[in-house]
Amino acid sequence: MFDVLDMGASGLQAQRTRMDTIAGNIVNANTTRNAQGQPIPYRRRFVLFAPGQAGSPDKPGVRVQEIKLDQSPFQKRHEPGHPDADADGYVKYPNIDLAMEYVNALEASRAYEANVTMMEVSKQMLSASLRLIA
Amino acid sequence: MFIERLLNQGNAPLLERTLEFTAARHKLIAENVVNVDTPGYQQKDMSLEKFQAMLRNRVEARRNAAPGAASFADIDGELENPERGILFHDGNNRSMEQLMSDQAKNALLHNMVVELLKKQYSAMENALRERVT
Repeated sequence: MFDVLDMGASGLQAQRTRMDTIAGNIVNANTTRNAQGQPIPYRRRFVLFAPGQAGSPDKPGVRVQEIKLDQSPFQKRHEPGHPDADADGYVKYPNIDLAMEYVNALEASRAYEANVTMMEVSKQMLSASLRLIA
Repeated sequence: MFIERLLNQGNAPLLERTLEFTAARHKLIAENVVNVDTPGYQQKDMSLEKFQAMLRNRVEARRNAAPGAASFADIDGELENPERGILFHDGNNRSMEQLMSDQAKNALLHNMVVELLKKQYSAMENALRERVT
């Protein structure tokens, strides 16, 4: 029965990783260059969840299997004065939609809360069972 | 032997099985909550009604059996994939509201059973001590 708590922890960890990824997307929503300073915009990242705990996939739980790059096309904006503009004056911006990121962040935080609730109930049920002995 | 007989009469074994059931079901509900965003995950559950029906049948059988012959040890909840809620595009049929209400009901049942068992054990203790504490 105690491993219910491990399961809850795996959920918390997965949702937090998702939140980190979303935060990374939001801060880089206008990043037109990569880490080397080349004019390649930031690609949106997203997490892929899979059932089973991280490190021991046969245990019930959830884990982040992979952080994938979103291969959808970059947004193009007409900004001829921008240093990263191409010959036609278009600048490539990341393929990030802020509204979508916000909604995903909300969902992640709700899922996190749900896991916290489950862990609290688990703890309370466990202590009730333990009081049978004492 | 005597203690075993004492513990296996009345509703004590029923409570014990129910406690096992609520613990196992809680685990499944927690697994469902944890996998609420996992693509392709199918919800798991155990039916309380079916479990209680099994217990009821065994209680009926116990009435006609020799004392101590009927055992509840083999009664367990059955794992199933309930078809409820809508199937989302990611192949997950989550329903957070359903999960939370199941979780609350299950935890309440668990706590109720724990209280009942505690009562029984203390009654037994009183009987053994031959005085009321």
